[in-house]
Amino acid sequence: MDIFHDNPMLAGVRQMLGAFARQQIRPIAAHHDREESMPWALMKMAQGFGMTQTAVVDGRKALTGKDEDEGDAKKPKSQARLGVAGSEELAYGCAGICLAIGGSGLAASPVARMGTEEQKQEFRRLLKGEDEHGHIKVAAMALSEPATGSDISGLATTARPDGDHFVIDGHKQWITNGASAAVYVVWANTDPSAGRAGVRGFLVARGTPGLVPGRKETKLGIRASETAQVHFEGCRVHKDMMLGIGQSSEGLGDTKKMLDSTRPMVGAQAVGIARAAFDYLVERVQGGTMHGTPLAHHQRVAFELAEMEMEIQAARALVHKAAWMADHHLDNVRMASIAKAYGAKVAQDVTSRALTLLGEEALEPGHPVEKWYRDAKIYDIFEGTGQIQRRIIARSIFGVNPT
Amino acid sequence: MDFALDDEQALIAQTVRRFVDKDVRAWAADADRAGAAPPRLTAVAGDLGFFLDAVPEAAGGLLDGPYSHLRRALRGVELGRGCAGMAALLETNVEPALAVGRWGSAAAQAALFASLAAGGLATTARDARGTLELSASADGLRISGKLGPLPALGVASHVLLLARADDEPVVALVDVAAGRREALVPSGWRAGAWGTLALEAAAVPAAMVLARGDAAAAASAEILTWYKTSLAARAAGVAVAAMAHARTYATERVQFGQPIGRFESLLRLRDDADTGAAAVRLMALHAGWLADRIKDGDGASRAAAHDAASRARVLAGDVVDRATVDAVQILGGYGFVNDYPVEKLMRDARAFAQLLGDERFDRILDLRAQEA
Repeated sequence: MDIFHDNPMLAGVRQMLGAFARQQIRPIAAHHDREESMPWALMKMAQGFGMTQTAVVDGRKALTGKDEDEGDAKKPKSQARLGVAGSEELAYGCAGICLAIGGSGLAASPVARMGTEEQKQEFRRLLKGEDEHGHIKVAAMALSEPATGSDISGLATTARPDGDHFVIDGHKQWITNGASAAVYVVWANTDPSAGRAGVRGFLVARGTPGLVPGRKETKLGIRASETAQVHFEGCRVHKDMMLGIGQSSEGLGDTKKMLDSTRPMVGAQAVGIARAAFDYLVERVQGGTMHGTPLAHHQRVAFELAEMEMEIQAARALVHKAAWMADHHLDNVRMASIAKAYGAKVAQDVTSRALTLLGEEALEPGHPVEKWYRDAKIYDIFEGTGQIQRRIIARSIFGVNPT
Repeated sequence: MDFALDDEQALIAQTVRRFVDKDVRAWAADADRAGAAPPRLTAVAGDLGFFLDAVPEAAGGLLDGPYSHLRRALRGVELGRGCAGMAALLETNVEPALAVGRWGSAAAQAALFASLAAGGLATTARDARGTLELSASADGLRISGKLGPLPALGVASHVLLLARADDEPVVALVDVAAGRREALVPSGWRAGAWGTLALEAAAVPAAMVLARGDAAAAASAEILTWYKTSLAARAAGVAVAAMAHARTYATERVQFGQPIGRFESLLRLRDDADTGAAAVRLMALHAGWLADRIKDGDGASRAAAHDAASRARVLAGDVVDRATVDAVQILGGYGFVNDYPVEKLMRDARAFAQLLGDERFDRILDLRAQEA
């Protein structure tokens, strides 16, 4: 079992992205939180570290120069563990910026998993170069809808066959990169009578008639990551742009599998937030006093830090175990949900307790721990709410198909 | 023991509830976005007796007898249902006015009451960790350090300061003109006209020092009893509001073929929050009732009231945090965006546990001192 120590590649990723988070992300985090703006310049810089918008489609080769997908398919990989190690470091800098950098990955995952070689090429082509603002191009995964949050099997967006095309109609909500994306992976029901199997993903380029990027949301946290509505009004898409074309698609089942693979990374981001708050608090406690007595001499403070450290270590072990299982081709559905749900709980718990201990000083506008507290909440909501994770875990305990 | 409200208490609760439902709730979202209360608040709330209810009638106020902290707790719950930021402004004069009326010199009373009667505000600061530098002399105090961030300090004329000078408790009225003020808009209570005050060897004349030594310790305990009781009551109101929004949403939102409010996990979140809010409300009312019965020179009655207020405030911080976080959870993606009111409530919840410092820490230090 090798989940308890970093191999050289993991250590390298941790070190490189940790330095990037501290030196590049942290200094601009408050600004982008306050302005609710995407860190476009930093996102461009991140591409130099291999964090390209098409990295998921390109495979790990873009980051390491080696492609683990080559060779024996049953051989253990380290892609998921690289993902959780990197995610924790980036979120340590700023969860919103981490999501801005990695937001395209949400759309790239189904393309990598279900797309044909032509669709992958098209995805890469649409993300090449810069947009009219000089920004790098980003992708959006359009799944959630106004009436469809946790229950994604109830998608109302339809894709009606019409000759060589499908005509997409519907509204999408809470879409990362929804207002700025150059390409959208849109989930729509091609045959409501087929249930889940009727739900398919489509590549839709920005500018396609009928695709209308909607209003950008003002959010509680992760404000450096853009969230917007997207509308489809008679949007015609060629049938070749349907993911999994020519295959017996599992429809939404594929989407759910994709979430299983991303949940450990999401849990790792939550761990990154918790660690950021913890480190900040440790530094303040070491320099602080209570009427002349060092704060660290008080068990009220010291034991609280000990509790936080226990929670953070446990959460990190869980996300690494879930990732390790994925890398070893083991069914990690239950563990992915445990890691994600527990990571979210720890991030909320640690940031809340840190604020209480910091007291009035953390009421200053732009205080980092207050920001992390707001950022942490989304981890109990997106990529499957805490309730959905517990439902998966409970069903798994009782031997029922968890998804 | 009678838990029913008398006619006057019921009238106060009803009047404030009507004001909150008609005006405060309607203004809350815009005030939050603007980072300021609407100008109308002063006139409308002033007509209802806010701002001057703790200022003696003889000094231009409305107080013509003993102040009732029980009634204040009742109205605090209602205000919390409306907007925590505006509630902070409406309640901010009470501690300075009562303290100065009780322990202040004629000069201190003249200075503060004239300002409040003219529409000014005052606020209360506590040097919870002893980070201010204070030195005492017969001429008064010298203070260096930063006060705040505190609600109302962005516009207040005076600060009621609870601190320690030369290792002795002290209570003083600080003229804001003695320092450098900075107005702020933090994440929560954004309508609360927050500010900080930087003091550099600021002189506080002896006439503005309300109490020193044991007398200051007793006065501080009483002032904190009033403040913590009010904070706990308002926090209960915020928790109630959060769960009211969550209940409405959960009734209308259908997922997996049924309103999400029927799922046991969400019912439990709501029930825990409602139970907590009910407990905090009762504890705040009890603390207010005890505060109304503190007798001069009776340390036991003062200690009992402070202990009740402190307990109420500890639980209030936990309950309002949990309730607002869970309300966001119940609303899911909608809870996370600014179109719905619960994300504001979650931001507002934090100050209840952070103002005045960490209540649990205080309780531990108090208990250790008592049992030493």
